Amino acid sequence: MNKPLVILEKMSTGYFSETVLKEVDLEIFPDDFIGVIGPNGGGKTTLIKAILGLQRLFSGKISFPRGRPNTGYLPQASQIDRGFPITVKELVSAGLKSSNPLFPHLSPKQRRKLNAMLEEAGLAGLAGKPIGELSGGQLQKALLCRALIDDPQLLILDEPNTHVDKQFEQELYGWLGALNKKMAIMLVSHDIGTISPIVKTIACVNGTLHYHPSNQLSEEVLKVYNCPVDVIAHGPIPHRVLKSHHHD
Amino acid sequence: MTDLIQVFEYQFFRHALAAAVLTSVLAAMAGTYIVSRRIVFIGGGITHASFGGIGLAYYLGMNPFAGAAVFGILTALGIEWISQKGKIREDSAIAMLWSFGMALGIIFVFITPGYTPNLMSFLFGSILSVGRVDLQLMLAFSLVVILLFVVFFRPVLSTAFDPEFAKTKGIPVARFRYLMSVVIAISIVLSIRTVGIILVLSMFTIPQITAMLFTRNFARIIPVAALWGITGSVAGLMAAYLLDIPAAAAIIFMLTIQFLIIKGVFITLNNLRRKGARRR
Repeated sequence: MNKPLVILEKMSTGYFSETVLKEVDLEIFPDDFIGVIGPNGGGKTTLIKAILGLQRLFSGKISFPRGRPNTGYLPQASQIDRGFPITVKELVSAGLKSSNPLFPHLSPKQRRKLNAMLEEAGLAGLAGKPIGELSGGQLQKALLCRALIDDPQLLILDEPNTHVDKQFEQELYGWLGALNKKMAIMLVSHDIGTISPIVKTIACVNGTLHYHPSNQLSEEVLKVYNCPVDVIAHGPIPHRVLKSHHHD
Repeated sequence: MTDLIQVFEYQFFRHALAAAVLTSVLAAMAGTYIVSRRIVFIGGGITHASFGGIGLAYYLGMNPFAGAAVFGILTALGIEWISQKGKIREDSAIAMLWSFGMALGIIFVFITPGYTPNLMSFLFGSILSVGRVDLQLMLAFSLVVILLFVVFFRPVLSTAFDPEFAKTKGIPVARFRYLMSVVIAISIVLSIRTVGIILVLSMFTIPQITAMLFTRNFARIIPVAALWGITGSVAGLMAAYLLDIPAAAAIIFMLTIQFLIIKGVFITLNNLRRKGARRR
């Protein structure tokens, strides 16, 4: 049976007394690749922070039918202080959990894994460099390695295409396609035009969530459901509308 | 020159030297954390709020540094709590605790009957009167912090750099942040003994920015900052003795001059390298 990794039921959350997301329903399955789109301030980041356990819920609940999944998180570039004196190797190693909380150092096995990861990502030569000396693409690559090094079941990326060039962006989407064979992926972006060819389904987030079980959105649908998107279109593909998809 | 050699025969001067070295080591560890996290202002708040504890302890006839430690730790925990809850503007809250502590200190010292304590020694330190017990305390706490940094280096670095990510990896972020707050508070209060409230923050920042000219690796900044802290403060002590000027001020002066000279050397070397590259 294909049990979901994460189930959100009527989940509401926000900051202090201000509700940002209201009554969100969503199921994330192990082979999902969900594009999360929506305007700034619509609650995209709040949604993924709630799933990661970083948000206090106002109401509703989040459950994990297969147990709390191991997550890999790539935060927004603005959350990273590039002036912080941390090396690429230290950054990536932060993704590895320590087995002994009273002596949280890397095991020899973890150290080998870390070196292999840096090698594979082409970051081995930069391992000792402080992150302030990296290009935008190199930093995103290091952050992606940090997210991936613990073999997550759910990879969550918040706008990984900021401060990177087009070539890196295309490379990144190639990797994500391959990674999706092993893990569920949630990709937050304000740019649906770019991500729509690679994601399997789309979640529109604007105060609440509208789930589209396809990667194509027709203009009419967007209008009717008030999905906050500028550019869409990949041909006239039928769009299935969910029952839960009401609007007031 | 014989003057300089003679002075080492005095116990007070040897104590002062040891205090300068230990303060440099303590400040190097806590200061690197403070500078990396860009929370120097929090350090300022803790420092000044602890003056309230000094005043209260005086009023109650207790050890002023115990009072400073209590106020310093409570302020540090309070600021960390405010920052984790995020309901009040953190910078304004720090400014309030900062000046409230100073105000309390002045009021208590004023209403303490009898002799008025020497306020100057708290504001500007009294490194020449550091005793054996002070040194033992500083040494013991330095060892505790060194052990803490060695054992918990990964979670300390990870929670300082990206607390949200650390949380997703199951690290008890709040616990580490509170722990580091206490470490910072105690380090500051112990250093007030040597350089005083007004000048203590420079011991926690100038050696760090000097070290960061050489390395941007957290674990390496600490020993390099300790080294520059020691050279600057020993030079300051010498200058204080030779020129008969206040020791703490001389130390901060030397730390700053040292930074400017090294920065100047770096700029010159860079310019020369660029010129060399252009010629080729």
